[in-house]
Amino acid sequence: MSVIEVGFIIQRPPYKSETSTLGVTHAISYQVVDMLLEEGQGVTPKVCFIGEGVLNCISGQKAMENYGVTSIESHIKNALLVDLDLYVCKEDLERFGISEDRLIDAEDMGADKKLQVVPFSEIQKILNNSKHLLVF
Amino acid sequence: MKLCIFVNDFKTVTDTVERLSAEKLGLIFIQNGVFHATIKENGKSSHLLEKPASFYVLAEDLATRGLTDADVDKRVKIVNYGDVVDLIFNEYEKIIWL
Amino acid sequence: MGTLTIGCFASLVGSKSLDFSLKLAKAALDKGHKVNIWLSSNATIMAKANQKHLKDYSHSEKYVRELLERGVEICECEACALARGIQKAETVEGVEWSAMHWYLAKIYNSDRVVHIGGE
Repeated sequence: MSVIEVGFIIQRPPYKSETSTLGVTHAISYQVVDMLLEEGQGVTPKVCFIGEGVLNCISGQKAMENYGVTSIESHIKNALLVDLDLYVCKEDLERFGISEDRLIDAEDMGADKKLQVVPFSEIQKILNNSKHLLVF
Repeated sequence: MKLCIFVNDFKTVTDTVERLSAEKLGLIFIQNGVFHATIKENGKSSHLLEKPASFYVLAEDLATRGLTDADVDKRVKIVNYGDVVDLIFNEYEKIIWL
Repeated sequence: MGTLTIGCFASLVGSKSLDFSLKLAKAALDKGHKVNIWLSSNATIMAKANQKHLKDYSHSEKYVRELLERGVEICECEACALARGIQKAETVEGVEWSAMHWYLAKIYNSDRVVHIGGE
């Protein structure tokens, strides 16, 4: 009986493919995984945006208006709302010139969690501690 | 961690491979990743082969591309699917696909 | 012997990643391991029945049937399939339909996971 950590590495930019969306939605499904597990078992996703994946985290996305699909911003907000830990690589944000005040925040929805901007060395530790790694 | 990376492309995956570190690292070149094991661009081998890692290339994906054992860099071991299964179960703990 | 879960997200036609997943699954079975396969995104086409084997395109139906006969659990992401117009009745018999938590549960109980992302 234990809970395992699974590292979700999101490295693709948004919208050209659905890859990064699927990374976030698969992580959110941890909420109901206990339906298929024994008591005391569980999965804790650790979602890490690295490389071009950090470009998913820019706020103000208009995917619903333009494509009629739920934005990655909405999925990320939902992930924060269900208390997932989401990490964004500090070096990659800087490389692409994205300031932290442009990042998605779910405070308006009542989320306690925020996107956590961390150096890659912290993300490496998270990956080290994860039992399995999924790259989206 | 003991990390195995399936490198399945030639040009687009090297950033992430470069950054990840592991106590024990293995790169398995498959699909177009096999060119890392075989092509010398401007006379130089792939810089991925400079990483402190063990290197493997999938025989079937070499042959599919008209490449032979003689094309493969000496640092790279040629493996089949059964060998890949043994590697991921016996030599490494975590596997990623890039 | 261990358990391997393969997550497939690439498409069948236009990519060789699903061919890789099928061959890896077979090799793992041959070595005595248990195998689970999760089909999501464009990989949901992998379990579609009545594929025509045209020589310019990858096909998977025959291999999916063989893996099912050998005890591999294969599960289709219901939402991904329906969004692509694939109905459950159109998939190979024995393929399960569920949601993303099926994949996480299999990951929980696996020794090794190979997550083959989309293109």
